[in-house]
Amino acid sequence: MATTPIGAPQTSTETSEERFRSLEALWRAETAHLSSSSKIIGHPTLREIIRMGKAVVPFMLRDLEQQPRLWVWALPEITGDDPVPVSDRGDIVKMTNAWLCWAKEHGYR
Amino acid sequence: MERLEALFPRLRGTAYRITSSASDVYNCIAWAAGDTEHWWWPGDPARTYWPLGAPRLETLAAFRDAFAILGYVVCEQADLEQGFEKIALFADSDGTPTHAARQLGDGTWTSKLGMSEDIQHALENLVGTVYGSIAQILKRALPSSPPEPR
Repeated sequence: MATTPIGAPQTSTETSEERFRSLEALWRAETAHLSSSSKIIGHPTLREIIRMGKAVVPFMLRDLEQQPRLWVWALPEITGDDPVPVSDRGDIVKMTNAWLCWAKEHGYR
Repeated sequence: MERLEALFPRLRGTAYRITSSASDVYNCIAWAAGDTEHWWWPGDPARTYWPLGAPRLETLAAFRDAFAILGYVVCEQADLEQGFEKIALFADSDGTPTHAARQLGDGTWTSKLGMSEDIQHALENLVGTVYGSIAQILKRALPSSPPEPR
């Protein structure tokens, strides 16, 4: 399936969260039906989100408080950390919980 | 519905139905395997679950091996067969697996669509540009029922 080109660069009036949400919507629209973790994580829009760096971490953590999300696949790359025990890898609920504990320890709440 | 039918045009005008809400917790391979707690994929082991003993390769052979661990063997027909449950593996034109569906007791199929919903559908409904074609059918014997008490 062809992918949509990534949108225009962030404008001076667009906040980081607005940019993040706009990229998130595009990423989900183009990958929500996929099972391949390599295609999901390798999608250009998610790569763009990851390139936004630590600015997006609070937004991802806030989403994880609401429900388990695949942000748990992007957070290690952004933060350089990985609090998920080997035994819990692939369990998105447990991975989410591990990241929420990490968030507390790192002063995100 | 329109969103799904745009992705899978063969759903249009059929009796498919959405049977769950969307979830990032499990995917089609997990759902086919009867697991709603993991995201199954042979990619990065830091991110996904894959059965121990099956190669972590995005090949049909690796997917067959993963389901073989659950007791599935290759079979020729997708038709409903008394005493067996079946799984269909989809693959793209390069032979790379894209999707799995599980047959239900009435001969229809159930699929989890990535992070989206589960649907009940006819097998051919998902053939197309997104998931490619049906590449392999697998089956395993259903547990036998205990004998009726006399």
